[in-house]
Amino acid sequence: MEKTAKSKKRLSTAKELNNIVAQFYLEGNDAKEKGVPVGWMPPMNGAIEIFYAMGLQPVFPENWSPVCAAFGLTPNNFEIAENMGFSRDLCGYLRNITGYIYGDMNGEHVPLGGLPEPDIILSAGGGCIPAMKILHTLERRFPDANIFSADLPQVPVTEIQQYHIDYAVKEMHRLIDFLCQVTGKTMDYDRLAEVVRISDKACELWDKIMSYRKYVPTPFSAAEIGIMFVMVTRQGTRIAVDFLEKVLDEVKERAKNGIGVIEDEKIRLFWDNIPLWYNMGIFNYFEKMGGVVVAETYSAAWSMRLDVDDPIKALALKSLWSYPMVSCVSIEKRKEMVLKACKEFKIDGAIFHSNKSCVPITMGQSDIRRALEKELGIPSVVIDADHMDDRNFSIAQFQTRVDAFMEMLLDSSHP
Amino acid sequence: MRNISIKKFKEALDNKNGELSSLAKSGKKIIGYFCTYTPIEIIHAAGFMPVRVTGDAETLSKVDAHVPNFICPYLRRAFESGLNGQYEYLSGIIQGYTCDVACGLIDMWKENIGGELFHTVPLPYNDNADSRKYLSTAFEELDLKLQNVGGQQIYSNIESSVALYESIRALMMGLYEKRYKGTLPLSGSEFHTVIQTGFTLSPEEYLKMLKKLNADIEEADTKSNTHTPVLISGSIIEEPIYLDIIEASGGRIVGDDLCTGLRHFIQTDTVGHDPMERIIDRHFSRLPCPARSRAVERAHLLMGLTRQSGAKGLIFLFQKFCTPHLADYPVIKDMLDQQGLQSIMLEMDETGAMEGQLQTRLEGFFEVMGKI
Repeated sequence: MEKTAKSKKRLSTAKELNNIVAQFYLEGNDAKEKGVPVGWMPPMNGAIEIFYAMGLQPVFPENWSPVCAAFGLTPNNFEIAENMGFSRDLCGYLRNITGYIYGDMNGEHVPLGGLPEPDIILSAGGGCIPAMKILHTLERRFPDANIFSADLPQVPVTEIQQYHIDYAVKEMHRLIDFLCQVTGKTMDYDRLAEVVRISDKACELWDKIMSYRKYVPTPFSAAEIGIMFVMVTRQGTRIAVDFLEKVLDEVKERAKNGIGVIEDEKIRLFWDNIPLWYNMGIFNYFEKMGGVVVAETYSAAWSMRLDVDDPIKALALKSLWSYPMVSCVSIEKRKEMVLKACKEFKIDGAIFHSNKSCVPITMGQSDIRRALEKELGIPSVVIDADHMDDRNFSIAQFQTRVDAFMEMLLDSSHP
Repeated sequence: MRNISIKKFKEALDNKNGELSSLAKSGKKIIGYFCTYTPIEIIHAAGFMPVRVTGDAETLSKVDAHVPNFICPYLRRAFESGLNGQYEYLSGIIQGYTCDVACGLIDMWKENIGGELFHTVPLPYNDNADSRKYLSTAFEELDLKLQNVGGQQIYSNIESSVALYESIRALMMGLYEKRYKGTLPLSGSEFHTVIQTGFTLSPEEYLKMLKKLNADIEEADTKSNTHTPVLISGSIIEEPIYLDIIEASGGRIVGDDLCTGLRHFIQTDTVGHDPMERIIDRHFSRLPCPARSRAVERAHLLMGLTRQSGAKGLIFLFQKFCTPHLADYPVIKDMLDQQGLQSIMLEMDETGAMEGQLQTRLEGFFEVMGKI
């Protein structure tokens, strides 16, 4: 097994995803050339729908990091950032983006034309600290960009009160006012309602697609989780909905016909934390022993419905839910969610990625592991790694732990 | 110079666990906090005693089963102490959202150690009319949560609680002024002990001790110290040995930008508003933590503090793995370099102070500074 490897995919729609990824990044550069304002922003919030409704071009530096990992750009980006004094102990997204924007960001070696420079930066106040610091770093690198300093209550999803929603709603309005002011565009609220309706449709499709993974055998595994690209970058557009409809059709068909990921699915696995973007192939590693990763925590970030009758409030709530749902902000809720998923998806064992690049998601894993064992009798294993930096990942250690874990699961499934 | 004794502070610090346990047994509810952004005045006004959770555990064994080894030593030690039963006297933990790790740890504390009240105040980042109203409501929510576990309604006591903490801050700022002028007859670690004591005593008791210390200091002689004046920047320092090493290597600590220092005590101009407004004012106008501000903003503030304190250089003394500080460091360092301000960055890990290695690095740093 290689230290960096692409995953083997079974969905034919996955091939189309490559085009969607390429199209998104090419569209960004095209927009820049045509003078469409380009805004860089953190993922997992309601700003994306506002951008699409106003005809603005969103760019997600965090999402660019997996692309860098897939194309092998990260070592150079890390080197640049670390030479600037950014510690190796910092989140890999932060170091990668810093190295990227201070390097040759649109050079010939950069795939998909690289990222268009920002006219607008949505600087996060809320989310995790590294996400906030990524945007602060961007501000310094692109001093001519217009900065919107966002402010979002950081509250466990189970404790959201009306005053949190009211404040988040005000922030949505403040963002729209800011965008109107700096771009000279106006917000068409009917258009926004339509965008939110399309966004909600994507959420509905997302949940339906994920629910088919409950089938035994599961029609697709975490190796295909790249489909979340449309939830990160295209929410509120027909591109996301059209793609997800095709994925749903294929997944439904496979489920109905009993077509699994592998011929003999013996062990159903759950994955906690962000994947190893430089080695999505590890999701296939379990397959030789009959293991398939059928569910993961991260996909829950888009498992919600938006109230299409109140678009601004819907986007405020989306912003309040998405990140806390999968992070240290709501460990109790996350635990409840993982347990529910493991039950519903008939999970035999769970893999907890102790992720050096993501403390917010790694915090609380031990409590979730204990609850899984105690309440559902589901065993788990910890993999020490990093979602961006392969220097923090040992193939040998991974294989040793996974092999032993799989053997144990296989033994207990065939007493 | 040495007719100042901080023996009583040291004793209070050494005896804190016994004293706090007795206090809790007598029926007083004690609420823990990690971060200096916690509105301790509100906890006090509810009739509870706010106490900072410290990382006292010297050896770590239980904590590895709960948290990764790539979070800061302070919170790992604090959690180990909690798992060891040191904090049985706490009725819960309240904090303001600053650091991701502390945010996660509060849920884990509830699950693994227990208590009746755990709450993170969702602090706003921006200062405007809406965010002030929002923060006011967040404090009302905290008030209700405190009442739910037996707290008094804060409004009858908040004026006196705010005044009490303001008196402490005013006295501490007086000590900082003396430190800037070079007339504070306390070493770095002695001053640190005075500060740490304040995190664990009742504010009423601490105020009395500070008044006495202040009076003693007024009468004390000061000696000139030819060591190089430096400012220390970082989050939490728990082991005074780091400060001793700095001073033994040729430095004289004249100021700080620490959670266990100026950032906890800094007083801002809030006179003329009602007590809740004063707490809100302070939240927005205090020397900010890197988790709640931009590196560029903090670089300018640090340069100002350097001038104010008379420091000739800065020592960044970070908890290992502290994302907010580590993420800001390259930007701040770059801006300091442009101003010709010398600095060095040291990380405190779990293995201890590594005295010899640190001293060698610091001696080199002070030698270079001496040549400039």
